[in-house]
Amino acid sequence: MFADRLDLTRRRFLSGFAFTAGAIATGAGSWVVRPDWANAAEGAIKVGIATDLTGPIAYAGNADANVAKMVIKQINDGGGLLGRPIELYIEDTASNESVAVGNVRKLIQRDKVDMVLGGITSSMRNAIKDPIVARGKTLYIYPQLYEGKECTPHLFCTGPTPAQQCDEFIPWLIKNGGKKFALPSANYVWPHTLNVYARKVIESNGGEVVFEEYYPLDQVDFSATVNRIISNKVDVVFNTVIPPGVGPFFKQLYEAGFLKNGGRLACVYYDENTLNINQAAEIEGLASCLDYFKVLTKENPFDAKLQAAYEKDFPGNFLFAAGSAATGTYRGLKLWEAAVKEAGKIDRDGVSAALDHAKIAEGPGGPAEMVPGKRHCKMKMYTAVAKGGSYEIVGRSNGLVDPKEC
Amino acid sequence: MASTFVAAFEILSFGAIIVLVVLGLGIIASMMGIFNFAQGEFVLLGAYVTYLAYSRGLPIWAGMAAAPFIVGALGFVLEALIIRRFYAAPIVAMLGTYALGLIVRESVRGLIGGFYLTVPEPIGGSIDIGTMHISAWRFTIIIITLLVMGGCYLLLSRTSFGLRVRATLENPALARASGISTPLIYGATFAFGAALAGLAGALIVPVFSLFADLGIRFLIQGFVAVMVGGIGSFIGPVAGAGLIGTLSAALPWVMAPVVADVLVFVLAIVFIKFRPQGLIAGKGV
Repeated sequence: MFADRLDLTRRRFLSGFAFTAGAIATGAGSWVVRPDWANAAEGAIKVGIATDLTGPIAYAGNADANVAKMVIKQINDGGGLLGRPIELYIEDTASNESVAVGNVRKLIQRDKVDMVLGGITSSMRNAIKDPIVARGKTLYIYPQLYEGKECTPHLFCTGPTPAQQCDEFIPWLIKNGGKKFALPSANYVWPHTLNVYARKVIESNGGEVVFEEYYPLDQVDFSATVNRIISNKVDVVFNTVIPPGVGPFFKQLYEAGFLKNGGRLACVYYDENTLNINQAAEIEGLASCLDYFKVLTKENPFDAKLQAAYEKDFPGNFLFAAGSAATGTYRGLKLWEAAVKEAGKIDRDGVSAALDHAKIAEGPGGPAEMVPGKRHCKMKMYTAVAKGGSYEIVGRSNGLVDPKEC
Repeated sequence: MASTFVAAFEILSFGAIIVLVVLGLGIIASMMGIFNFAQGEFVLLGAYVTYLAYSRGLPIWAGMAAAPFIVGALGFVLEALIIRRFYAAPIVAMLGTYALGLIVRESVRGLIGGFYLTVPEPIGGSIDIGTMHISAWRFTIIIITLLVMGGCYLLLSRTSFGLRVRATLENPALARASGISTPLIYGATFAFGAALAGLAGALIVPVFSLFADLGIRFLIQGFVAVMVGGIGSFIGPVAGAGLIGTLSAALPWVMAPVVADVLVFVLAIVFIKFRPQGLIAGKGV
């Protein structure tokens, strides 16, 4: 018995020591992925990833970190950038802005990274952009779909904007749903700003907004809303309610017979992750518009290769999905790679100038290019409909869609 | 007429859900004088057990039936290991239960990977009355809530166990002198409260889907309900829960939901200011 305890203590001591040593070396919540070759004279190029590895949206943050590991490994295996290897520094923003600012400062001040990619929510972007871009004088890439209007110099956005998610999608909804729209929304910046744009597109296409309403972020009972939708005979519910409310909301709509009466659900952040919130029947026919869906792997060889490579390296729960910013992360890193190659150096002004018009021929969902002077990204957009628990592509943009920002 | 009926049903069903969640909380608060901040996580565990049963291919109702027993057993163990040490210091007990809750919540978040997972209802679909559709599962929840409420009331007022619980609450020293093992009664009461939370979690998970913050979502509403209802009796928190649940489901029908959300709490504060003892004062059942 005594010996058992002694052993346990020693083992505990050792594991505690190992953890502490690791924590002292990198700081808690930090990871460094070094290339297996580091013989370059100039030393490695340092890429910083600041994303939500823990907290409520950890599933998205971990997927983004995985994509970064995959892309950086591919670049290193191909000989690195400018003949130099890339070191990846990953910091946890923990879905908590004050923790995030501290950890991002570590990237900038201690690790002296050459570029930071990350942030998922808009509030996170707003919290960390100043330490990165203004005080840190470092290039920043934001990968998530968002409400637009981010026009800070040296801050590049590689996810879809309201124009990209509405311009093709809303006319499709009017044709395949009807003219009467309801805009039930969570009460924060993304739905408010997106709805202003969506309303404009709905009205200019001959549709009508029956009501636009905002709910507390943790509201889970939507009986009053569902009743208004049913009694006003709404055709399309353009939803920006987010989890946890969205599951019960769709369920209540289904139970009230909205889908049975021919109603159409639409939700522009719905990807493969969010499909599991409801049973398949409850969201049958839900339409979404994003830059990538997994079903594209059937028609697009590059997407098939990318998806397979990701799933081979990272089997498990963290999906390569557009709504988690995984596609934006891929696009951001590859555009940055192209920019560094063109600039031939790694200083912020040089890379920024090249990134301003960078292009990639292949990416998730198709090619992508930055719109010069706008720091936003043109990309292909797809409209997909949920059928029996997976998506089916029903519409695609002709060429690249303009983000119409800045 | 039709829409009034639907409205009444929806409001009633949300009221029933809040009552179900608050039952266990109220029993622990009233009978033991402890505000159990881990109550939300007991709800979450009940939901998680149901999900586990479903994901292993077992019938969902089996998971729902097992949830109160598993969560109740866990509550019994936690009471004996941790909560028991804090009876002399209720404030510290509150912090202790909060810490427990945090551990449970983050563990479950780790286990489910931070996702929102659907659990189908054993009785799905809707009951159609003419042009109206009401949710079959919400209707079931109302029925079960009524049964559980009645059962709890009978248990506390009519059985010898209930008598011992009330005796321990009223005068622990005298109860001990009369041969009642108060530590055992405390343990059993805490386990019972936890089991009710587990049942609540199991029943509501098909409505709200499984996510790590499922329990904490109802915790604040639960505490407000207990305050409004009055601590000390069984029926007080239940009445408070009925009121708060009904109010928070009814107000969005007549005003902007963001305003309604705040107004519920404002009304509760005003009410407690003028009637600090709550709706139903005094000890007893």
